[in-house]
Amino acid sequence: MQVFKLCMKIIKKNMSVLLIYVFVFVTFSIIVSLSSGSRNKETDAFTVSKTSIAFLSGENTPLVNGLKEELGKIADFRDLPDETRVLQDALYFREVSCIVRIPEGFTEKFLKGENVQLEKTSVPDSASNVYIDLSINKYLNTAKLYLKLFDNISEEKLVECLRSDLANSSPVVLKTSNPENTGAGMEYYFNYMAYTLLAILLFGMTSIMLSFNQKELKMRNECSPLNPISMKLQLIAANLFFAVIAWAISVIFSIIIDFRNALSPNTFYLVLNSFAFTICGIGISFLAGSLIKNQDVMSSVNNVVILGLSFISGVFVPQHLLGDNVLKVASFMPVYWYVKANNTIAELERFGFSQLKPIFGMMLIQLAFALAFFAVALVVIKQKNHE
Amino acid sequence: MFWHIFKNRFKCLTRDKITVFWTFMFPIILSLFFHFTMSNIDRSNIFKPIDIAVVDSNLYRNDVNFRKVLEDVSTGEDRLFNLTVASREDAARLLENKEIDGYIETDPQICLIVKKSGLAQSIIKNFLDNYLQTFSAVNTILSQNPAKRHELSAALNDYKAYIREVPPAKAKLDIKPYFFYSLIAMACLYGCFLGLREVADIQADISPLAARINASPVHKLKTFLYSSSASLIIHIAEILTLLAFLVFVLKIDFGENTGFVILTSLAGSFTGVSYGAFVSALVKKSLNVKIAILISTVMTWSFLAGMMYTDIKYIITKNLPFLSWVNPVNLLADSFFSLYFYDSLSRYALNTIILLLFAVLFCSGTYLIVRRRKYASL
Repeated sequence: MQVFKLCMKIIKKNMSVLLIYVFVFVTFSIIVSLSSGSRNKETDAFTVSKTSIAFLSGENTPLVNGLKEELGKIADFRDLPDETRVLQDALYFREVSCIVRIPEGFTEKFLKGENVQLEKTSVPDSASNVYIDLSINKYLNTAKLYLKLFDNISEEKLVECLRSDLANSSPVVLKTSNPENTGAGMEYYFNYMAYTLLAILLFGMTSIMLSFNQKELKMRNECSPLNPISMKLQLIAANLFFAVIAWAISVIFSIIIDFRNALSPNTFYLVLNSFAFTICGIGISFLAGSLIKNQDVMSSVNNVVILGLSFISGVFVPQHLLGDNVLKVASFMPVYWYVKANNTIAELERFGFSQLKPIFGMMLIQLAFALAFFAVALVVIKQKNHE
Repeated sequence: MFWHIFKNRFKCLTRDKITVFWTFMFPIILSLFFHFTMSNIDRSNIFKPIDIAVVDSNLYRNDVNFRKVLEDVSTGEDRLFNLTVASREDAARLLENKEIDGYIETDPQICLIVKKSGLAQSIIKNFLDNYLQTFSAVNTILSQNPAKRHELSAALNDYKAYIREVPPAKAKLDIKPYFFYSLIAMACLYGCFLGLREVADIQADISPLAARINASPVHKLKTFLYSSSASLIIHIAEILTLLAFLVFVLKIDFGENTGFVILTSLAGSFTGVSYGAFVSALVKKSLNVKIAILISTVMTWSFLAGMMYTDIKYIITKNLPFLSWVNPVNLLADSFFSLYFYDSLSRYALNTIILLLFAVLFCSGTYLIVRRRKYASL
């Protein structure tokens, strides 16, 4: 077992680099789980989406308060000071999707039937704006209807009528086939795992292979009394052992952090998919290890490969936000299929064969990639031995 | 002497492929990745008409008002819905296949059927509520004065838009450029790898080369300044090339103050190189440890400046402003951002002044540590 032990020693020596990736992964996952705390969980009842807005009013009248109350049904108000820079920042960094400002004298003019408008500053064309616009216009148009047709209505009476009208709400039926489905959200951890796992596998395995591929060392090893087959087998065993441990650690971390979903069937398939990806990662690392010649090049090549694959395949930026051309290129890379499978699994509600078939297909594609990488790597090694 | 040291140092550094890779090629490659993946990021929340269906029934066909309202909002350029009229089974199938976000039943009463809660679904509900509420208002009015019936339809048709859009700032609200500002800020700080080498190569206890240089009859500070200027020139050239690449190839909008943008890049480059020198002088450990410290600090700064996740920057600026002032990457990224986004230059000036304070701190720190160092034996 000398070779196996040596491999473990090499890994131990590189532990600090590997731990950085684990640390980053855990930090990322915690941030995601914290920021998704407010995300709508699928429940039995329909919940209305709320969007964050800033509501600045130059006056405090029943009409304006009524409008604010109505907006409160679909919006969370953020308390922001009325300073241009703070408001600009809040919009730019999307703390609020719009800022509604009621100019002074709005109520008076509105009640007189004059032409008035409130001011809205927003992220252009965003969907949540449509939502806010609908509500504001609804409130004020209904108020206008009363002013026109209801004789001698006072402001208080108007607001009261509006309140009782606007209490009307249409019923919503939520038709999920499986309300137990809680896989949504877990795909974030598993998608990001592609980056961590690939980084750990690449750095770990290439450093093992680099050490063994040094010319003098190789020559020395070849004249040792150890059976070359046993040596190769130990090497393979050490690499596989390392890969499985790395995979297990990543999976355990993501399950611990999102423990609420740990027992859903979606999680099972996500874990299975990540195992298929691990095998593919071993293939990539094996190929990289047989191509790379020294330590300095290793770090730069590895970083570019990992970041490149992760970026274009939708690990950092969700796939639905990527351009079609980028996705087309990415579909020639295994990470793309891993991420796609994760996203599909997270949406699954039923687990019959017809629903699972495309997912198994994507896993098979990853395994096929693994096979291709191994084949190329073997050719490369053969070539090098000839030289 | 200057020319001799400068020239040889210059050759030396440009042949160091690994450093050139990390300080020059890596940011460019990263910017390409950003470019390819961020192209749609600002269009992700844009409103697109929502696909809905309405169940065809006698009640729906006879309810002229509701049909008209629904058809009104489903036609034209800025329509709210893409409407399909379908049988109950077809509508259910469309929903199951995620071809529509929800469908409306009118029999026995208006009701929305959806598969999940979301913004699109909420907008449909809001629309239906709107209809019911107007209906209720009409009833209230008629119960008070039935004679108003004939004025009603005119009043209902007089739908007014009560909202005036006010533009937020001179620049667009696109979040995409910020990623590139933080990227170029990171690239500036990556100059630390050059600074690191400068100090490592004159500290005789670190490398044999430095021992040889120490034995030469040239004032140590002069050697250091001459060779550092080679590092600085190389890094400035790299940063300006990166800037040109971002502006002319990737078409990133840096605002109109080109002069200030270049000035910020120069200041950033200088801060980066001096930071590397400072850490290299301060930390008395092996080269690998120094590199690890540099990489981890620069990456943490970049993360806190929002390079990976822009919300982080906002959260910190709002809640822990001190942390955003002691982060050189954030100062740089914020300088570029201020030039792009704000009308006044006050925030830009503040950022730059604090950044230069950092540079002065790094330079004087390096000087105080490196000067008059003597070795009893090597």
